[in-house]
Amino acid sequence: MIPDVSQTGEAVEQQWVPQPKAPVVMLNNVGKTYGRYQALGGVSLALSGGVTGILGLNGAGKSTLFKLLMGKLRATQGEVRLFGTNPWKNPAPYARVGYVPENESLHDWMSAFDFVTTFARLHGLTRDEAKLEAERVLEFVGLTDVMHKKIGRYSKGMRQRAKIAHALVNNPDLIILDEPLQGCDPLARTTIMNVIRELGRMGRTVLLSSHILSEIERITEQIVILHQGRLLALGNVHAIREQLDSIPHTIEIECGDAKALAQDVLNLDSVHGLQFPTSTNLRIFTHHLGEFHKQLPKIVVEKNHDIRKINNPDDDLQTILGYLTGGAN
Amino acid sequence: MAKERGETIWTALDRKATAIAEFTMRQYRTRISTWVVLGVGFLSISVVLLFYIDAMNTEIEAIDNDGDSFDSDGDGYVDGQEFKLGTDVYNEFSHPGLFNPPVEPEPASMYINEDDYDWDYSDARSYSTGHDDDGDCEDSQLLESQKDTNNDGIPCNILVIYNSLTGEYQIFADYGVDEDPDEDRYGKEAQHRAFVLAIGKLGFVFLLSIFIPLFLATGLIRDEMSSGTMHYMTAKPIARGEIFLYRMLGYLGIVWPYMLVMCLLMAIISGLLGPGDQFFRFSDLGVWFSVLIAALLATLVYGMLFSFLGVLWKYGIILALPIAAWELGMALLSMSVPESTFLRMSIVGWSMSIIDSGALLVWPDMDMFTQAGYWAGGSNEGATFFDISTEALPGHGALEWAQSDLGLGMGPYPTIIVSMMVLIAQAAFFWFIGQLVFKSKEIE
Repeated sequence: MIPDVSQTGEAVEQQWVPQPKAPVVMLNNVGKTYGRYQALGGVSLALSGGVTGILGLNGAGKSTLFKLLMGKLRATQGEVRLFGTNPWKNPAPYARVGYVPENESLHDWMSAFDFVTTFARLHGLTRDEAKLEAERVLEFVGLTDVMHKKIGRYSKGMRQRAKIAHALVNNPDLIILDEPLQGCDPLARTTIMNVIRELGRMGRTVLLSSHILSEIERITEQIVILHQGRLLALGNVHAIREQLDSIPHTIEIECGDAKALAQDVLNLDSVHGLQFPTSTNLRIFTHHLGEFHKQLPKIVVEKNHDIRKINNPDDDLQTILGYLTGGAN
Repeated sequence: MAKERGETIWTALDRKATAIAEFTMRQYRTRISTWVVLGVGFLSISVVLLFYIDAMNTEIEAIDNDGDSFDSDGDGYVDGQEFKLGTDVYNEFSHPGLFNPPVEPEPASMYINEDDYDWDYSDARSYSTGHDDDGDCEDSQLLESQKDTNNDGIPCNILVIYNSLTGEYQIFADYGVDEDPDEDRYGKEAQHRAFVLAIGKLGFVFLLSIFIPLFLATGLIRDEMSSGTMHYMTAKPIARGEIFLYRMLGYLGIVWPYMLVMCLLMAIISGLLGPGDQFFRFSDLGVWFSVLIAALLATLVYGMLFSFLGVLWKYGIILALPIAAWELGMALLSMSVPESTFLRMSIVGWSMSIIDSGALLVWPDMDMFTQAGYWAGGSNEGATFFDISTEALPGHGALEWAQSDLGLGMGPYPTIIVSMMVLIAQAAFFWFIGQLVFKSKEIE
């Protein structure tokens, strides 16, 4: 066996010391092209602390962004810094990072416990330390009961959680989760969301990607929207919502008497148009979604309307992106 | 976890190494393909072993090399007996039966294999050896000068002279000395040595050491990259060169014990079945040890090379095939022209020179032994096309083919050391460029 080389004093120039003032994640005008296809172009971003959701459609560049951060890909343009270090050149920052890749493939032939233990040892833990750590993180993601079963027999949600567990073994300061909720059933979704929220509460920097706005909204308020490789919007989800509120929206309400409801809402300033697809359906056009949503409950309660369903068909990422990019989409 | 994190990645290398090596070994153990590859390797070596077992259990037909079991004049007395007693071999009215008292004719079988080699095999440059077992030289009616046809002043002996220009031994025998060797004794020994050398060189160093890495090492990095599981390993604070190296350790953890077991198995079987009076041919273990060393180093170098090719290109196995073909050519070249400079550009050439050196240390008489087989008791001297009775002893051809001289122009020990150092340097080189390519690879 190779001796336990501490190398103190010998490899000084190779030592990597995290820069305390450097942001956890820093991208400066980063671009990535494959031939003529631009996966990511001119993205600048600096993040430290908190849970940040990266929103974007498939192919928007979310995974590319994460892979650049994890040194899997080399930026064709700009600077990528992880704790102030270029991850393509130096894997040292990964001691403080946990990464949950998007791809589904896992080592199906081993148990989650062995999987997590093995990868914990790559952080320099001894066998026993690694086992303790593995038990801790597997409990954290709620896999303790099944941790000695082969990963190949896990459901999708369990596999996701095993991946998350393996990323947490080193108590990372930064956790990157690429589509952690994809393909999970509602129960697993809730568990994973709780895990991520908990990590945020613990003061970790969490980066997660999704293409579903409502999922992200349930986890965090801080979002980054990527579209066709460009950074489209950045900030608080409410601020972005506010922006969205001022553009025309459609709301569909299924109720007992559409005409009665229409009479009541017609007087509101925020409403500028109505449609009756059927006698029990009312389609309302509004300029100010937030305002309307504030007033609607009062009307419903006061006039005693029988409301069965409120549907905001515009409230998906596709539509938001459409508005943000100025196209009708 | 009270520890300083992220100071440097060059800590706890032993822990990382054992983690990845253990992981790799477990991964290989769970794959059926691993066992198929190792099983096929075992079977192919076993088939050759069957031929060896068969050869060792088959009596080699005795040949009357000097032709004295023949009764030329038909008087009932074979030529050998007539010659010994001084009667005329070609006159039927001259035979020992007319002696007073008459001598009974001896059976012809007494004059087959009646004078075997009893040479003192040492590394002689010019050496007087041999003993006239049947007395047809010493006890014959020949004049003293006729008993010393090689003119070395000693009657009834054999003069063996090493020709340093050709690297061969020249054999000058007095008439009637060691002229009818025992085919079975020589043939078994020659076949045994030929088997050990051939299975070591072509079986272990060529066949197993190329094809096992071809199937097991090419995918060490590549398979993880294409299946997407490499993402987990590369997201840890560990250099890619380390991943390459530690995966290799895991591969060696499977392949080296396998080679050891195979070598031991062969050594035990051939040691028990091999010719000789002793119960077990202990001295052969030295050759098997050199075979093992050569095979271990060859699997290391080929492993590094093929793993590198796998990183270089997804279909690295296609690049590996021409290399395997080149190595086959080099393997055959090293068995015929061991001093060729082309061999320096191969892996197999260096590995085989380790085996040749080991064989030379265990069997220092190898050259003389081979020459003796060709000489065949003198009956093959100046063999002509028409004279079919003159040919080399059985087993000589196989041994001649399997055995080769040391091509580096050094003794066996320096050759072993230099070859091992070259092989280790080759492995280090392939690791170095392999990890360079791996470092520059983007992982999708």
